[in-house]
Amino acid sequence: METEGQAKRIVEEAQSTAEEILARASEEAQKVRQTSTAEAELRKVQMLRETREKAEADARSSDVETDSLLENYKKLFENRKDDAAKKAVKLVLGV
Amino acid sequence: MSESLEKLHNRILSDARLKAAGIVEQAEEKSKQILEDAKTQAQRDANDILSRASLEAESIRRSILSSRIRTNRLRILDEKNKIVQGVLKSVEQHLSDIANTDQFEPTLKRLVLEAVEAVGTDNALVKVGFRNAQKKNLQSLGQSLPKGTKLLADDTPIDDLGGVVANDPEGKTIFNNSFKARIERLDNQLLATIASTIFG
Repeated sequence: METEGQAKRIVEEAQSTAEEILARASEEAQKVRQTSTAEAELRKVQMLRETREKAEADARSSDVETDSLLENYKKLFENRKDDAAKKAVKLVLGV
Repeated sequence: MSESLEKLHNRILSDARLKAAGIVEQAEEKSKQILEDAKTQAQRDANDILSRASLEAESIRRSILSSRIRTNRLRILDEKNKIVQGVLKSVEQHLSDIANTDQFEPTLKRLVLEAVEAVGTDNALVKVGFRNAQKKNLQSLGQSLPKGTKLLADDTPIDDLGGVVANDPEGKTIFNNSFKARIERLDNQLLATIASTIFG
């Protein structure tokens, strides 16, 4: 009787150890997923911030490019307006 | 305790230990599997988050850039339009003052002849009106007109800028050869000429 009781205890202890192992594994699995999700969310925030900054920089550069183009148009207008008007007048007069 | 009983006792305990080891080993295997599954799922979740973030980032980039680029394109178009309109104003000014230049007589002759030809009758009525035009300049034209053509000098410039309007005696066929009408007819060519001269 004592031997059987001892054997039963050995198996019960093993079952309890197995339950602990599985509980720890579940806990660990939960942590793995939480950590991974948190890291991905951080990378997302960083990606969006970088994208926004890059787009704003590109937009500013487009503004600068446009300002320079407009400045150039003004100079072209000053230099070529008389010639353009002369050609247009000739066209209207049918010369 | 007899020897055989001792053996049985040991056998029972040995079986129990074997069973216990199996239980723990199974739990460890399952534990490994749980972790593997969790890692795989975590990777899938992370990929999902990042792939959605990628789409969101592209949308943010487009919304920032497209509105700014659209605004800048409009600024460029607006400036080009202002420039072309500025040149057109100067063209109109020049045309409006043509009576004060040596281009007036040949221009007047050309406009009148074109208009008479367009109306296509021997008895065309031609109305002529230019700013600052002297009557004698208009009358000098009479000799070069086709026979039967009647010239009317208007005190005010036709269509604001000046020009010529011819019609048949019944008023059924009218040809407007005012500068304004010519500008309208030549609109596309004028814009192209001005734009190509200014912007190349």
